[in-house]
Amino acid sequence: MLQSDKVDTASQRAGKHGGAVASGPLDRVMERLTRLMASHSSRRSFAGRASAWLTLGSLIPVLPVSRASAAPVKPASKPKAPTPFAASAQTTDPTACNYWRYCAIDGFLCAACGGGVHSCPPGTSPSPTSWIGTCFNPADGRSYLVAYRDCCGQDACSQPPCLGTEGDQPSYRPQANNDIIWCFGTGALLYNCSTSVIVGNAS
Amino acid sequence: MSFLQVFRLATAVCATGLLAGSVSERALASDPVLQEEESDVVRLAPVTPHRVLVHDEAGQHAKDGRVYVVDADAGKLLGMVQAAYNANVVQDPAGKAFYVAETVWSRGNRGDRLDLLPAYDPQTLTITSDEVLPGRALVTPKKNDLSISNDGKHVYVFSMVPTSAVHVVDTVSHKVTQTVDIPGCALTYPWGNAGFTSICADGGLANVSLDGTRATVTHTAPFFDPEKDPVFEHSPTRRPDGKTWFISYSGLVYPTALSADTKIETNWSLQEAAGMKRAPAAESPFVVTWRPGGWHLSALHYASGHLFVLMHQGTYWTHKQAGTEIWELDVKTHKLLHRIPLQHPSTMVAVTQDASPLMFTTDRSGTFYIWDATSGKLLRQMPHLGEDLYFALAPGE
Repeated sequence: MLQSDKVDTASQRAGKHGGAVASGPLDRVMERLTRLMASHSSRRSFAGRASAWLTLGSLIPVLPVSRASAAPVKPASKPKAPTPFAASAQTTDPTACNYWRYCAIDGFLCAACGGGVHSCPPGTSPSPTSWIGTCFNPADGRSYLVAYRDCCGQDACSQPPCLGTEGDQPSYRPQANNDIIWCFGTGALLYNCSTSVIVGNAS
Repeated sequence: MSFLQVFRLATAVCATGLLAGSVSERALASDPVLQEEESDVVRLAPVTPHRVLVHDEAGQHAKDGRVYVVDADAGKLLGMVQAAYNANVVQDPAGKAFYVAETVWSRGNRGDRLDLLPAYDPQTLTITSDEVLPGRALVTPKKNDLSISNDGKHVYVFSMVPTSAVHVVDTVSHKVTQTVDIPGCALTYPWGNAGFTSICADGGLANVSLDGTRATVTHTAPFFDPEKDPVFEHSPTRRPDGKTWFISYSGLVYPTALSADTKIETNWSLQEAAGMKRAPAAESPFVVTWRPGGWHLSALHYASGHLFVLMHQGTYWTHKQAGTEIWELDVKTHKLLHRIPLQHPSTMVAVTQDASPLMFTTDRSGTFYIWDATSGKLLRQMPHLGEDLYFALAPGE
């Protein structure tokens, strides 16, 4: 069905612009030459018929099938959301729990606590360590590696918490666990809020 | 008004007042006179099977966590102790003491870090020793990050400072007798008087046998896929014999006899026990079915072998979602016995270990619900006992 649609569209374009749609200089030269010969000869003449064949031959490269294959590759349809969280995630409000990067966040959103998606609130320190999740971005259809880095040094932020659990594994898999206080190396390991920092493309 | 008139009026007012006073005194004279008092402190009776410890994380100001002591028969708060910053608590199996693992800093949110293991007298709730630990794991409280041997002589403290290890604390000498490195593993599931098992990142177990200041570690082969269907940390251990039922995210139960030579038996399915299909795991994340979930999501009544699991309807990766039902299952027959609906979804379930067991749940407001575990009937509730009730401990666990 999609193929037919393409053929129809390409045919209309070829008809509308006539021979002007010839794809190269050689095509255009041949077409003009053929038309010139036809206009100066009998319609029943061999030259006329031969010119018609030549014209047809010169137009072969511009037939719809050829045009379709020569056209830039149309982007494939976006990948489907791989998980339930991704299927309902949004990409505009980082202060809401269903923001796409928060697929596995556990705790308070720094974006709602004076910081940002990848910024700590003033008075806190970013943790140099973290665990890594993988979240699907509905806007571009790609999955990204997201580091959930904690901001530390003040007690818990007062805003409502969020709990994303996609890919969250138990603490015996610390590299994929969102319960650990990831404030190692920040002085007091007091947890304030969580950021989600893109650290790579996982697609 | 002349001066004489003013004098007469004042005299009348005073006389009326005196008369009223004398009448009042006569009325009070019949009541006993309140005696002078001395300040004192309540001393609790010895521990009973229905006196439980309830952990409150106080997640929005976790420096102020606490442990409540509750009389579940009366639905009464008996007292509380401090349990600072992602603390943990474990109780001596004989009820002689309980221990809180906690962390403080010398200047509140800064300064020198101090990891502590105070031991509490269960009748006075006073500290009998205040052991300083080399470190402990700071993680949202998981019961099995702190455990105790059957005889109550060893407390096992899981630590991540700086690597995965378990500090063994002698509760008699109040000293750390040794630190056992368990690289790639975490948590402690106690067995016997001198051993525990940890879960490892490869889907196997590490078994630690203690002998004085020495330890021997053995490993099982991996028996579950930690990426596609890991087992919950809050899987119950039957203290008398160390049998543990590891429950996976999808609902598979792995009966495991813990020892230096741990044996893992064939798994069975919670959903099949209820006459349903086995639930898919990470390979089919959109399939909605009944699944185990919550925080402290399971409890075992040792004598009857009845397993209580919080269940909800959801997709895969909803393993921390509060349960809307409790499924009561028989671990011998692998049959579902009861489905107990919860009007208020709970992330925590616990049971006492006596012959007339009570069961406990909570809700988002921190209310503590007390159930008859045999009939499945709600008996009473303690509204807003705390803020974030993570788990409850009954004597003998």
